[in-house]
Amino acid sequence: MNAGFSLEEQTRLRGASALIIGTGGLGSPVAYQLAAAGVGRIGLCDMDTVDFSNLQRQVVHFTEDVGKPKVLSGAEKIRALNPAVTVETHTDALTSANALDLFARYDLILDCSDNFATRYLVNDASVLLGKPHVHGSIFRFDGQVTVFRPGAGPCYRCLYPSPPPPGAVPSCAQAGVIGVLPGLIGSMMAMEGLKVLAGRSGTLTGRLLIYNSLDLDFAEVRVRQNPNCPLCGTDPTIRELIDYEVFCGGVGE
Amino acid sequence: MSSLTEQEIIRYSRHIILPEVGGRGQKKLKSASVLVAGVGAAGSAAALYLAAAGIGKLTLWDPGLVTLQDLTGAIAHDRSRIGLPRARSAARPLRAINPDATVDVLDRESDVAGWIPEHEILLASAGDWAGFAKLSYAGGTSAVLYGVHGAHGAVGTFRPGAPCPDCLGDERARAAGLSPEAGGGEAIAAAAGVVGVMAATEAIKLILGIGRPLTGRVLAYDGWAATFAETEFGERPGCPVCGGETK
Repeated sequence: MNAGFSLEEQTRLRGASALIIGTGGLGSPVAYQLAAAGVGRIGLCDMDTVDFSNLQRQVVHFTEDVGKPKVLSGAEKIRALNPAVTVETHTDALTSANALDLFARYDLILDCSDNFATRYLVNDASVLLGKPHVHGSIFRFDGQVTVFRPGAGPCYRCLYPSPPPPGAVPSCAQAGVIGVLPGLIGSMMAMEGLKVLAGRSGTLTGRLLIYNSLDLDFAEVRVRQNPNCPLCGTDPTIRELIDYEVFCGGVGE
Repeated sequence: MSSLTEQEIIRYSRHIILPEVGGRGQKKLKSASVLVAGVGAAGSAAALYLAAAGIGKLTLWDPGLVTLQDLTGAIAHDRSRIGLPRARSAARPLRAINPDATVDVLDRESDVAGWIPEHEILLASAGDWAGFAKLSYAGGTSAVLYGVHGAHGAVGTFRPGAPCPDCLGDERARAAGLSPEAGGGEAIAAAAGVVGVMAATEAIKLILGIGRPLTGRVLAYDGWAATFAETEFGERPGCPVCGGETK
């Protein structure tokens, strides 16, 4: 008996593509693990360069990579792990102008970003294109993971109809984060993404998993699609991408 | 206790700003020693995160060689290192992430036992768990046992003063999903990441003295269903390893 993916599922993974938004704390394990599993084409999207303060948790980057674009550092590591994977790097900022074209080229989007403007942008672009997307976020010792599949469950806007007021949620730099936390949340995101691409059931669609690393405690919350959601509800009012910086009243970190 | 350099203060700034860690906690991590027994799937993820977090001394033990099959489950090895001893292979990214850490390598089957008492914490995903547990309890080392098969895995923490693996028993441990890894491509790297990082989290919590450790409970992850299950257990009266007397 095969404990991992079946041959048929493995073939699906090889023919599949995934776009990882952010090559930082969450993106590091996701990139490694999708490559290890043999996802045929992986896109890395991040405009930042590696900083010393990233190394405490962003394990795809080494000390010698400080100053290098994160996507190039990440691409080197996952190519070395699995040379059969096609790795594509995107260093342009993700914006309302380029998101739809970029997302259209991938089967699955994994949101490994660290700010609300990007999360709403990723959500809206994914829903408008009908693409599944895996969401993960972390704060200090706590994290959450879920899967959004248009037509099969809620979207990020059903869960969070509006962003928090600017400044209400401190950034990772302001609040800190325990280094192992993105490792766990990112690994769960990768596992969910692989299940979506392999065609497995049992994903976190409509289920929000909430984790606390101090107690190693997991809780699950059911999330339903909001029929009045302005994006995926019965009478949507959002039919194209908007200005997310304005919508969120400023940038995150 | 070791002090922190200016560069370390920047490197660990996201830890130091947390009241639960602070500069004092980061120094504790720097002074700590962890023996990682088994650097296959879950062990390789755990080791990477421990090195990144600033554990000062990491000793990697694994008598196996890196195989092509390992690379589907393990992220600390790569294609160019197939055929190398696993511990030596995993030491490379650890040192590259954190050149300040002392990373030692043990690659003979017989190496591990004598080294357990030299470490504050043992993280074991392979080897003779029952033997390790006896040595840990005798020498005052805390042990975190964990393993992954396919998309399933589990982790449990054992330390002097809490129920030991012998109290849990082999049968109950297996039923709870806790067993050493088989190796050779038997694990999905993403699931190994979840379980390995949980084990690394336990080590960090024990070193910092924060949070509720997984003592007296085994936490299992089912990656196919995305669910977690906890099995609680108590001390076994008259246990030959720990005496069945938890404090």
